[in-house]
Amino acid sequence: MAAEVKKGIDTTKNPIPFEMAQVPGPEQAKCYMPKVMGAIIRKAKRPLLVVGAELFDDPIMFDKMIEMGKMGIPIAATAHSVKGFVDRGYMTDVYQIGLHPLTNYLRFPDYMGLDGKGQYDAVIFMGIFYKFANAMFSALKNFNRDIKRISIDRYYHINANMTFGNMAFTPDDYHDAVDEVIAAMKK
Amino acid sequence: MATNQGSFSVEDMKNVQINIGAVVKEADEWDQEMGPFPKPGVATLRSWDHMIANRYKIMYTPADDTCTLCTYGPCDLTGNKRGACGIDQAGACGKIVLIACLMGCCAHAAHGRHLYHWCMDKFGDMKFDMGDEILVDSPLYQTIMGSKPKTFKDFNEGLYYLEEEVVQLLAATHTGQESAFIDFESKALHAGMLDLLGMEICDMLQIVAYDMPRGAADAPLIEIGMGTLDQNKGVLIAYGHNLAAGAEAMIYAENNNLWDKVDIGGVCCTAHDLNRIGLGNGELKVPKGIGTKPKVAGAMGWWRKMIRSGVMDCVMVDEQCVFCDVLADAEKRKIPVIATTDKIMLGLPDRTNDPIDAIVDDLVNFKMPGVAVLDPTKAGEIGIRVAIAVKPKRAEAKIQNLLTEEQFQEGIKKCTTCNECAFVCPPHIRISSLIGDAMKGNLLSFSNMYEVCVGCGKCEQSCPQGINILDLFEYANRQYIKTQKFKMRAGRGPARDTEIRAVGAPIVLGTIPGVIALVGCSNYPNGTKECYDIAKEFVDRGYIVVTSGCMAMDMSLYTDVDGKTIWEQYPGGFDGRNICNTGSCVSNANIGDAAIKVATIFAHRNHRGNFDDIADYILNKVGACGVAWGAYSQKAASIATGCNRLGIPVVVQPHSVMYRRTFIGRADKPEDWMVIDARDGKMQQIEPAPEAMLYIAETKEEAMVEMAKLCFRPSDNSIGRSIKLTHYCDISMKYCGKLPDDWHIFVRDTKDLPLVYKDQMMKELESKHGWTIDWKNKKFISGPLRPADVSFDPTNLARKIRTKK
Repeated sequence: MAAEVKKGIDTTKNPIPFEMAQVPGPEQAKCYMPKVMGAIIRKAKRPLLVVGAELFDDPIMFDKMIEMGKMGIPIAATAHSVKGFVDRGYMTDVYQIGLHPLTNYLRFPDYMGLDGKGQYDAVIFMGIFYKFANAMFSALKNFNRDIKRISIDRYYHINANMTFGNMAFTPDDYHDAVDEVIAAMKK
Repeated sequence: MATNQGSFSVEDMKNVQINIGAVVKEADEWDQEMGPFPKPGVATLRSWDHMIANRYKIMYTPADDTCTLCTYGPCDLTGNKRGACGIDQAGACGKIVLIACLMGCCAHAAHGRHLYHWCMDKFGDMKFDMGDEILVDSPLYQTIMGSKPKTFKDFNEGLYYLEEEVVQLLAATHTGQESAFIDFESKALHAGMLDLLGMEICDMLQIVAYDMPRGAADAPLIEIGMGTLDQNKGVLIAYGHNLAAGAEAMIYAENNNLWDKVDIGGVCCTAHDLNRIGLGNGELKVPKGIGTKPKVAGAMGWWRKMIRSGVMDCVMVDEQCVFCDVLADAEKRKIPVIATTDKIMLGLPDRTNDPIDAIVDDLVNFKMPGVAVLDPTKAGEIGIRVAIAVKPKRAEAKIQNLLTEEQFQEGIKKCTTCNECAFVCPPHIRISSLIGDAMKGNLLSFSNMYEVCVGCGKCEQSCPQGINILDLFEYANRQYIKTQKFKMRAGRGPARDTEIRAVGAPIVLGTIPGVIALVGCSNYPNGTKECYDIAKEFVDRGYIVVTSGCMAMDMSLYTDVDGKTIWEQYPGGFDGRNICNTGSCVSNANIGDAAIKVATIFAHRNHRGNFDDIADYILNKVGACGVAWGAYSQKAASIATGCNRLGIPVVVQPHSVMYRRTFIGRADKPEDWMVIDARDGKMQQIEPAPEAMLYIAETKEEAMVEMAKLCFRPSDNSIGRSIKLTHYCDISMKYCGKLPDDWHIFVRDTKDLPLVYKDQMMKELESKHGWTIDWKNKKFISGPLRPADVSFDPTNLARKIRTKK
């Protein structure tokens, strides 16, 4: 269960790329409040949660991702993050795959997904090394615009469609924001 | 004028101008027939490149959504839109990739061109002799050029060829020329191949001219680390990639018996090359064994840490990988700088033709911060004399290198925790947290992050309080700097033919699970120790581990429980459970050379002018995988691209997204994994092996799993495949806690299954993947993509089909 949710964490502040010089061009991500993010994810027909190895730096996030997974969202565990799920005994719809090959697949409309059931319509990135996630968002932004790019990471991700502002230095607020997303997904 | 073929008489000629064209060489002594593609032009190997690009999808990760290269711009290319000139985002990315590869290629080629002229001037035209144990002595040159260099002069042909190709390639990047991304990539692959050639020419020239080791598995252990530089002597640092001036400094010190007054430390690849001089068994034109006298100060990633640590008195820079603010950093600390090549002159006055005494006087008395001296011999003498003479002057000037305790405290108190520094730090170090801990008296956090910090200094540029953050790191690590003393094996040079004969069959059949080549520089995503961890994992598992450049240096900074570096733990042969240091950045060519030699020495493939045939062999049969775990430069982009054209996959670290382009296959598309069986010309589906040509891994753990997978080849026999699967699965179990999701697609026969997982896997194949199994005979009835077939001869080239007479 998500921790008791504090209402109204403002996730739209500090819309500055976490690597400040990553300013690619005229199209830049917008920051959204958690409940909007949650509602968008809830409405996605084929969402995919993509999580990376930074979860090991903040292990409680594994539990939050598992909570999202239990709502029926498959999880692509990139890098070696799958170990966090193995250790927690949760492997339902958890797939071990690198972010690079995964993004390569996602570029193609004929990709049938990790479960063979079809291409995804939304990817939700979380816990991935900033520069790497930023570049993979860029690949999708430029070469497959049919997939909605959502970041619920603690960074402002300029190449996403929807992102939080920077919350890298306010971990408590960030945790609460993710809990708000989860709560909104349950509505 | 009467002439016979090949000769004419000049006795009676008057006022005649003679233009000599190409000189027809003496009868060819090489027993190999000329292959189809000697000196391939820009489009010659295009079909091979397109085969690579069709299987390994070109994937772009644009760092910029706009194009600003011409006056039509800026153009917004977001979403693969076209700009005013008509180029789309993919084409624009391809253009930048090609330019980057050309930068890298030119850096090595120009290095080779400089060395060529310098060696011809200094040593004269020498016989190209790699010794009795390396008869296939220039595999890349022979494969690409279709000829064998016999003396230094012959390398000129290779350089001319390379230079012409580079001009043609660069021309294609002009607006209005090439626009198709796939052809930009074909050209980038061409540039990469040329880079391999340029590196080989460089290394072969210096190996012979400076009598470096020629495949010496027992090359000596040498000293590495900032703590090895004797602070009682003048310390001269030779920094960069071109050994010419550094070598002259060594020779001057030797000839004038000055080693008790001066220590020479190399930084970056110049360090490797200085430490190889005079350690060979060839013609000796340099002092015997002199290469053991200088120290390896460290890799280029340590530069800003070194200069702040106060370990040096004078710096000579040559070329490539030199931080652009070297002069500013040195001037601040009264360290005279000598620029020794025309590639990096730093705005300094050119004093090449001035008297040495006058230059020394100016530098020692701080009349100018540095000079450019483009004569290596002169620069070398000046470097030694200045380092010795300036040391007491610098002591008198009371130059402060490290902060005092008070200054350190003053610095950290300025921090307002605004975290601007964290927004620019490549490895995302939370510097304000380190400062917070330091305020509580705990410097351990600064110490722990010392090797993670890449020394880029962007934090200092962004700090609104003007805190010299790198100086804080230096202060906190002052004890470590003094004790940074380790052992590294000197660069051994190429693999010997006998070594290749011994490992050729095990590599091709898979019983040596692979060749792992760790190359490149030192900007790791999570600290320099990662290169040691990766090397250790694979050498322990019986892979052949090969390394070079800054990677070889950085992995020397760690020891096992017995205090031994990796070089002291394992022998230096080209064999399983060995680790070779091939040498400097240009010695990376030796890695490609080894792969070619497997094809030509073990498999008797003709390599002469036959690049795509050899690359096809390597792609299908030689389980090699490169890893550039920290590379920053365009040279790394071109080296990796050259390896890709040669059929060698490469894994890179996450910062490498800045290179913008990767090659990665789609394992879900069976039609992408069809090859020709050369025995009968029939098409055969294979497992995706290797699955990628250029793969970005997020963490070292992911990299290691992927590297084990990228060593699979269609030609593996069952024993070999079983061994490779064992390592792939073991590494995944170790770091991911589970078997990889795709292990089953590499299984062709029950004999392929790793013994330790066999029962579990058999059950899973039946229950999860729907294979049918004859349990009594332990055989697959259905399921595998193809049967295991030890005589299967996979190829991507139709001309390799063996026709029956």
